[in-house]
Amino acid sequence: MKSMVIGGIILIVALMAGTYFVAGDAFQSDDYINSLTMLGALAIIVITVFTVLKYVNQIKNDTASGELADENWDGIGEYTNPIPSGWGLIFIGSIIWMLWYFFVGYPTNQFSQIGQYNEEVLENNAKFKAAWENPTDETLVAMGESVFLVQCAPCHGVDAEGIAGKAQDLTHRMSKEQVLDVIKNGSQGLGYPMGAMPPMMAQGADAEAIATYVAGGLKGEAPASFAACSSCHGADGKGMNGMAPNLVDYDNTLMSKVLENGKKSSIGEMPSFKGRLNETQEKALTSFLNSIKAGE
Amino acid sequence: MFHWLEQKPFFFAVVLFLTIAFAGIIEVIPDFAKQSQPTVGTKPYTTLELAGRHVYIKDSCNACHSQLIRPFKSETDRYGMYSLSGEYAYDRPFLWGSKRTGPDLMRVGNYRTTDWHENHMMNPASVVPGTVMPAYPHMFTNIADIETAYAEAYTVKAVFGVPYDAEGMPKLGTLEEAQADAMAQAKLIAADMKNQSVKDAVANGQVPEIVALIAYLNSLK
Repeated sequence: MKSMVIGGIILIVALMAGTYFVAGDAFQSDDYINSLTMLGALAIIVITVFTVLKYVNQIKNDTASGELADENWDGIGEYTNPIPSGWGLIFIGSIIWMLWYFFVGYPTNQFSQIGQYNEEVLENNAKFKAAWENPTDETLVAMGESVFLVQCAPCHGVDAEGIAGKAQDLTHRMSKEQVLDVIKNGSQGLGYPMGAMPPMMAQGADAEAIATYVAGGLKGEAPASFAACSSCHGADGKGMNGMAPNLVDYDNTLMSKVLENGKKSSIGEMPSFKGRLNETQEKALTSFLNSIKAGE
Repeated sequence: MFHWLEQKPFFFAVVLFLTIAFAGIIEVIPDFAKQSQPTVGTKPYTTLELAGRHVYIKDSCNACHSQLIRPFKSETDRYGMYSLSGEYAYDRPFLWGSKRTGPDLMRVGNYRTTDWHENHMMNPASVVPGTVMPAYPHMFTNIADIETAYAEAYTVKAVFGVPYDAEGMPKLGTLEEAQADAMAQAKLIAADMKNQSVKDAVANGQVPEIVALIAYLNSLK
């Protein structure tokens, strides 16, 4: 027994010395955290060594006692000793905890993943609303850019130029070809109060003149044939306050109509993004598009 | 009390298994049966869409793309409404996937279009700069297997009672009818495409794999 205690103390000293030899530098500074760690390590080693010693001693010297249970398995029997009191207390405690968990803490069928999701959404929406109640123009442009990069860039390209004709070039309102196509085929489905635009509102040289004028951003003198357009789109081409699409800029009305209904044009089809963006985000997208407008 | 039982290890193991299995069954089965009912509006795939699904499986799209939107705000913002178990009622096998090298495709039909898929499958980097997705030009020349798709649809209808030909559900009919329907659907898709060889093939009564795949992707909503 004595030799084992001496062996244990030698082991402790050796371990501490080894640690000091390897990491001794760490104790040179003013920081006491390393010394605390070392004290903790010392405590763990001492407790471990002496606990092991206790049990080794018990194995060596203890003799079993008590009454044997009736059954035995190939000569191996079992004593009918009572269970250790600490173990019994923990067992009873865990039963109480289980009852609390089941009936008070997390009652059966009270948790809902979807409920948790709904709460998360409400919380996020409230946070969004509070944070961006009155956004500045710069905020809108920055928000619009990040929305654009996630939702729009896969088709319109990261530079918004439409990836070489694969989608609408959003740095311009319309090209001459697009205006001609709309004049020829009409346009419908955006849900403006003015309704669908009939095909063939103008033809030949008239259509050409309108297309050049509209594609050029409606600058300078309007051609006489533009009268066919201005009855709906307004003399300035801005759509008479949301009655018909704005031909000059991407405005908030145009943005929300296209996002809601999608758009089919000579380039291809844009799907509807209904319900995917909130009002502030749509406004932000408009601001962003106007901020990257070419030639201004 | 149970000492006699402890002395019979094999019998004890069997009884233990039966006890746990019974508890598992009454916990799992009723809820599972309820959840796996098709959600309202979920329809089985048409023959062409099934052919596209076979292309999807054959080219291992599910190795990089999941089809399962979890109920987190970050996820529903990007991909749309979270997935419900009943939406997979007609997926055999389901294609949940386990890894998102690419984005989730559960509702890709809501926000991508035929012409986008056409550009993307021919050359992904042309629409998504920096993408690691490989190009799939062979889909524009390989011909989709409509007959196998019909065989699958017919089998699930006969064996599992999938409601083809029911009211408001896709029509299946005979092989000839199904082929005619698939061609009609393929023509609509080819009309939105720009690749001339694909358009020619469809006009000649053949369905290139890309057309079937786009039909499948557009059906994911």
